[in-house]
Amino acid sequence: MGLRLKILSGFLVIALMLLLAGAWSVYELRSIAESVPKILEDNYKSIRAAKIMMEALEREDSAVLLLLSGKWEEGRSMIQGADRQFLEGFDVAMKNLTMPGEGDVVEKIRTGYETYKSLWLKPIVGTGHEGNLQWYLDSVFQAFLKVKNSVHQLSDMNDRGMYDAALYLRDKAHRSTMPGIVAMISALVLSLIFSYFVNTFMVSPIIRITGGVKSFLNSGTPFIVRIETTDEIKDLASSITDLTARIPADGKNP
Amino acid sequence: MRLHVILRYVSLILLLNALFLFLSAAVSLIYADSAFLPLMYSAVLSLLFGVFPAIFAPAAEDITNKEGFIIVIMSWLVSCLVGVLPYILCGGVFNFTNAWFESVSGFTTTGSSILADIEALPMGLLFWRSSTHWIGGIGIIVFALSVLPSMGRVGMILYRREMSPIALKSFRYRTREAIQILLAVYVGLTVLETFALLFCGMNLFDAVTHSFATVATGGFSPKNLSIAYYHSLKIEIVVMVFMVLSGINFALLFGLLAGNFLELLRSATVRYYLAALAVSVFLVSIFLHGGHGGNYPDWADAFRYASFQVISIGTSTGFATADSSVWHPFAVLVLIFLTLQCACAGSTSGGIKADRIVIFWQAVKKRMMLIEHPSAVVKAKIDGNPIEEDTLESGILYISLYVGLVFLAALALAMTGVDGLTSFSGSAAAMGNVGPGFGSVGSTGNFSHIPGPGKWVLSLAMLLGRLEIFGFILLFVINRWK
Repeated sequence: MGLRLKILSGFLVIALMLLLAGAWSVYELRSIAESVPKILEDNYKSIRAAKIMMEALEREDSAVLLLLSGKWEEGRSMIQGADRQFLEGFDVAMKNLTMPGEGDVVEKIRTGYETYKSLWLKPIVGTGHEGNLQWYLDSVFQAFLKVKNSVHQLSDMNDRGMYDAALYLRDKAHRSTMPGIVAMISALVLSLIFSYFVNTFMVSPIIRITGGVKSFLNSGTPFIVRIETTDEIKDLASSITDLTARIPADGKNP
Repeated sequence: MRLHVILRYVSLILLLNALFLFLSAAVSLIYADSAFLPLMYSAVLSLLFGVFPAIFAPAAEDITNKEGFIIVIMSWLVSCLVGVLPYILCGGVFNFTNAWFESVSGFTTTGSSILADIEALPMGLLFWRSSTHWIGGIGIIVFALSVLPSMGRVGMILYRREMSPIALKSFRYRTREAIQILLAVYVGLTVLETFALLFCGMNLFDAVTHSFATVATGGFSPKNLSIAYYHSLKIEIVVMVFMVLSGINFALLFGLLAGNFLELLRSATVRYYLAALAVSVFLVSIFLHGGHGGNYPDWADAFRYASFQVISIGTSTGFATADSSVWHPFAVLVLIFLTLQCACAGSTSGGIKADRIVIFWQAVKKRMMLIEHPSAVVKAKIDGNPIEEDTLESGILYISLYVGLVFLAALALAMTGVDGLTSFSGSAAAMGNVGPGFGSVGSTGNFSHIPGPGKWVLSLAMLLGRLEIFGFILLFVINRWK
């Protein structure tokens, strides 16, 4: 292999290594950039929806207590507002099923809420339920707890999903930096090896050839330089050997 | 010492690693897992580093002993370093210390792992993990020399540096022949076991990775529960047979394949090795049986689990079908003895080796006779051949140094806060390239909880054990070599 190709291959190897590391890092960084909005889409939306439903449920519970105490107007107005709020949250959750098992949880919320709603939809003020705390504790509050737990479950599930996604992103970030670090260290090692080879197989032979020519010219010592490689330097040494064989040590033509 | 010659021959080992990294990347691609890019990048890097010195440095006509020695040591270290790459590029539990531990454990065929959940790893990475066993099992240099022909005298020097000195004595074949025999037996056993495991119902991936780990007497399994995962007596029997075979000197195995069965039985070392395993199975079975307050009320179960664990530890493989940490103390002590001894030289096994134990007993016998008859001329013999004084002395010195180093490693490990049993058994298992120890690093445990400095101590012990101690120590005094 010729000198030009050898030197070129040294640089090419280092360049290829850095290029690949760079390309991989860019790929990983791009996938991080693509993942962030997806995480927001997938989990954050559902967590927000769960929070809305939770707030609405708390308000509905307070409203039921108002109705129990005979305050029909305040109770009804509060419960209708909370119901609208709950359904808005539920709608978001239902349209954002992104995790395995999330559909089942949303279905549990739907059926639970229907049961809960059926209890306070019927008149309370002026009926036998007014002031009946036992009925509240045995039926309404139990139905309320059931829906609340299901909403909690939805929130926890998406929290876990977000945590997993964060771990995934951390892994991705690690993956985007590691090739760079590995490539830097490798390039450093390769550069050292490269400079060692250049010195051993290019610079040193040239110095030896120069020394051989000088001692031939100065003291007539036969030009004998051993070159291990089979490149232009060996050709140069052979040519000089041929030349010196034809020229006497004092420099005059035979 | 010519650095370019060392670089050229070490780089050949990188090419071999690159080949297996490409294979692992292909596995990753087939299973569409997340390890493809880390494996591919590692493969390309390994290839570039492998090709680079070959472009510049011409092939050497001859190499010195010193150069050959450094080439072998550097090949192990560089391979371990290359082995680290896919792990750290994949990330997760693999920081540099963990990746180095896993890689050294793989290449030295130890089989200790820092992984608590092995099955969570991508398939490509699991394949690479098992490949490190297979590459390391036969000895990186011997492997490379077999694959890369026409190395003449260079090959002979590297081969002599790589092979266990005690194994070299028992090899009566010439270098090239010996290498071909090693490779033929190694590949043959791997292929045979793969087919046997497939026949027993394992899938191809599991069969190949378990064969890699068995024939290399490594012990890495792609399953968290190791062989216990399969609950299959057939699989256990196949693995046991191949573990026993892989612990026998490969030259003798080759003789067996050539129809020379008697040669195998005539070997005192093989007879001792097989007898030690049989007696250990018998003793451990007794103490595992319920009648002695043991773990298994049924004799068949006691025999089954005792056989597997004894053979697994006694051949330095390290697979598991039971948690031997909770076994009767007598059974644990028998297994610790086997952890120190391991199988025959000339196999892929680690440890002191059965050959040295036989030499040790011959030396004891000789001493006893000299005490009885002080003026008698007594020659220690193995298989009817007299043992040279030098061999006797170096064998006993090796055993002493080995045990001393196990204690030193155990002390160093205990200093990091690890308990006594775990420290001692973990160190013995690392030095013997066995894998599992006892205590918190038992057959169903792992090394993830060992502090970072402890993992480095164990990695060093694994390398010391693999390079038969003197090889590694000599590296540090190489400048004083004449």
